[in-house]
Amino acid sequence: MYVGKPLPRPEDFRFLTGRGKYVDDIKLPRCASAGFLRSPHAHARILRLDASRALKRPGVIRIVTAQDWAKAGHGKLVCVHPMPSSDGQPMREVLRPAFAAEEVHHVGDVLAAVVAETRHQVLDALDAIEVEYEPLPTLSVTARALDDGAPVVHEQLGSNLISEILRGDPSLAKQAFARAAHVTALTLDSNRLAGNPLEPRCYLASYEPETDHCTLWATTQVPHMLRRWICKYALNIPEHKLRVIAPDVGGGFGNKVNFHVEVSTIVWMSRELGRPVKWTATRSETLQSDTQARDHATEARMAFAADGKILALQVDTIACLGGYLSNFAPSIPGNSYPQTITGLYTTPALDLRVRTVYTNTVPIDAYRGSGRPEATWVNERLLENAAREMGIDVVEIRRRNLLQSSDFPYKTPVGRVYDCGNPPALLNRLVEMAKYKELRQEQAELRKEGKLMGIGIAAFLDKSGTGPSRQLSTRGGLHGGFESATIRVHSDGKVTVLSGSHSHGQGHSITFSQIAADRLGLPIEDIAVVQGDTDRVPYGNGTWGSRSASVGGTAIYRASETVLAKARRLAAHLLECNPDDLDYENTLFFVKGTNRKLSFAEVADAAYHGASYPSDPGFEPGLECTIFYDPPDLNDPQAMHLAVVLVDERIGRVRIREYYTVDDCGTMINPMIIEGQVQGGLGQGIGQAMMEHVIYDPDTGQLLTGTFMDYAMPRASDMPPLQSDYLCVPAPSNPLGVKGGSETGTIGPPAAIGNAVVDALWHLGVRSIELPITPYSVWRAIASASAGEA
Amino acid sequence: MATVRISLTVNGKPVVSDVEPRWPLVEFLREHLGLTGTHVGCDTSQCGACTVHVDGVALRSCTLFAVQADGCDVKTIESVSAGNELHPMQAAFHQHHALQCGFCTPGMIMSALDLVRREGYELSEETIRQNLEGNICRCTGYYNIIKAIGAGAKAMRNASAG
Repeated sequence: MYVGKPLPRPEDFRFLTGRGKYVDDIKLPRCASAGFLRSPHAHARILRLDASRALKRPGVIRIVTAQDWAKAGHGKLVCVHPMPSSDGQPMREVLRPAFAAEEVHHVGDVLAAVVAETRHQVLDALDAIEVEYEPLPTLSVTARALDDGAPVVHEQLGSNLISEILRGDPSLAKQAFARAAHVTALTLDSNRLAGNPLEPRCYLASYEPETDHCTLWATTQVPHMLRRWICKYALNIPEHKLRVIAPDVGGGFGNKVNFHVEVSTIVWMSRELGRPVKWTATRSETLQSDTQARDHATEARMAFAADGKILALQVDTIACLGGYLSNFAPSIPGNSYPQTITGLYTTPALDLRVRTVYTNTVPIDAYRGSGRPEATWVNERLLENAAREMGIDVVEIRRRNLLQSSDFPYKTPVGRVYDCGNPPALLNRLVEMAKYKELRQEQAELRKEGKLMGIGIAAFLDKSGTGPSRQLSTRGGLHGGFESATIRVHSDGKVTVLSGSHSHGQGHSITFSQIAADRLGLPIEDIAVVQGDTDRVPYGNGTWGSRSASVGGTAIYRASETVLAKARRLAAHLLECNPDDLDYENTLFFVKGTNRKLSFAEVADAAYHGASYPSDPGFEPGLECTIFYDPPDLNDPQAMHLAVVLVDERIGRVRIREYYTVDDCGTMINPMIIEGQVQGGLGQGIGQAMMEHVIYDPDTGQLLTGTFMDYAMPRASDMPPLQSDYLCVPAPSNPLGVKGGSETGTIGPPAAIGNAVVDALWHLGVRSIELPITPYSVWRAIASASAGEA
Repeated sequence: MATVRISLTVNGKPVVSDVEPRWPLVEFLREHLGLTGTHVGCDTSQCGACTVHVDGVALRSCTLFAVQADGCDVKTIESVSAGNELHPMQAAFHQHHALQCGFCTPGMIMSALDLVRREGYELSEETIRQNLEGNICRCTGYYNIIKAIGAGAKAMRNASAG
């Protein structure tokens, strides 16, 4: 058995030796270079755009704008996951245009594209395009988006509201609050983030006029979806005339799922010019054009009985979606956030309102965690503050409220049913691993010396393995939730797995090989995995939302079973026996009780080159199976984190002294890969908690974090000592028992670390801390607490 | 634009080329010599994906002009392994799952080798953490990179002793 083993990855060799093939590494003859002119204003009317001087610059081939786009009859970028308001009103949709026509709505909005012989000629020409703007009033603060008199991003809408999502039962919640023994209320904003995969986005399109066929190499997590979006919504070209290849992709994190503005233009220009065209983003461009994440303004309250049992949760969130609607954006605050907001507790009543809004900022969309970090920040901060206010230990209050394993399947107040789990076991393991009691004693002793130590916990769940397709379609989704797999046995018995998923660091090749090798009973060396090419792989939905192992993996599992059954049938025919009379072991089919045998490779050879095969109806030569597996349900990975912090009160510096995680991600196919995913997620989660923040000037909407010199991300020395463990409750909805394993790291840290910092400062009167928890944030918390006391 | 003739050694081979003064070294390596193992992640010397060795010292090739490398000995990731055999540092990265998307990896390896040159084969975790300040990895949380560099340094000592 290979499943369960920490096997290393085959792709490492090319990455380690500099032989990886990322899009920008692909060099084609006669390739032209493209670049985009971007708005320096957050909100402005375009009075004049004159490219005539730029066109005369050396090497310039074409300059296109919104007018040319319209003249070509092209469409818009699509929003594939609409969320109408709860009163049935459709959401107020303003889609992201490939080129701004009359107004720009965020810094980085695209006005024109230049194609020239070289990259430097492109840059020179971009500088020579003349634009006259009339700056308009700008809105960049989410909490102010619905204020009376707030600047309106899209004038034709009259306000900034996109949709209003209501979940739960307000009257039930109201009753619960009325009879509560204790109520805790907090402002719990989630900071805006930039995903920043280290490889900037890059597109290379190569059109052959002879065949009217175009190949696009793209930094994407979803090659088939991207092809569909470009063909159907943007450029109106037939899908069989566009091949999308996602070669090695340098990190995605959701950013490279989203339909970005530049890609269609690169395909369009290559088709127009009949030669390859490439665009590679600079980092300054990704920070003003890649979709961003989080950015919630939230007021929330939690009601408790005297014994610390949760009675109700009330949440009022304004969720920013940026200057335009990006393609999955509405579903993040509208779907993922409500579905996980009550976390791992039996919360009997919920009153949730989410209002999604436009501001003059880069569009928001999926980024690792998507809605769950925002939800966990709300639920877990309220619970721990309440525990301290009520004099109940933070572990004890969780014991009183946690779902028990017997509560599953558990229907939440928003209607979602959690499949399985054992939260009390996770908590026990966490507390044991961290030596919680000793930590509390140490905290008390350090306090006597004037040292501020804090302990914080986050208990939460993820939402993984999207589809099912039918469920998506009932919500108006314009994409499927299935995954494809082909198991292709070659005539020598070796196997190629073609998967609709896409690995951009997650190590699918080894994980999928482990699944296929086990199901086919073959050595793992006999398996190769192919993905990321719409001309080679059947339509797949790609990799996002921790769906590859449970959906893509199950597709491979099922297709392998079908292929093996066919091989067995053929072996029985060749050995002149009944398939049930065959044993299959060590790649050999044996007739039970005899020494008559055939190897898997011999059967494969016969499948392609032997004339003899069974006359069963429908039995065909060849040994290959393609399936499109649609899962019956999502799955619900769970995790708990504990952070120990030391706070230097004088300068507001927080040091995370220790960090503990316990994950239930179901069956672990490759523990090494899972551990890497947990650790990598933590890098981003700790980033959100401690330093990451996309900042726009509150008055002008100017982007202040436009380079890696301004947008802080964790370095090696920022990561705390870590201890992790895993408890497995297999998912019931797939035969492997796997759940998502790669997003919990981003979900827990803001709440666990925030709770720990508030714990350390509680005696100073601090009740609230703003993300990210920088020295300034800590200093403000302490200052406002002491001001409150005075 | 006028070009300037430069002569340098790249991965042990002499190179003479006419370059525009505004080309960063990384652009020269990637676009003109086809050495695409060196990556551009940030353009501002922050992420270290473009780290190469110039006269034996790790430098950021995104903020060094090609003309500044005139007369220098430049080594890129492509020079580290001997044929198909991984260098001990590369092998340690593989064993410890110290890479995911692989984009930062060449820069990490070049920085790690420079660290061993400066600090020797016995590297404490603290030393490694502090010396990786100039390299961003967005995938791994650095835990396995730190383990790999410690193990890789030890393996280099064993290899050199053997």
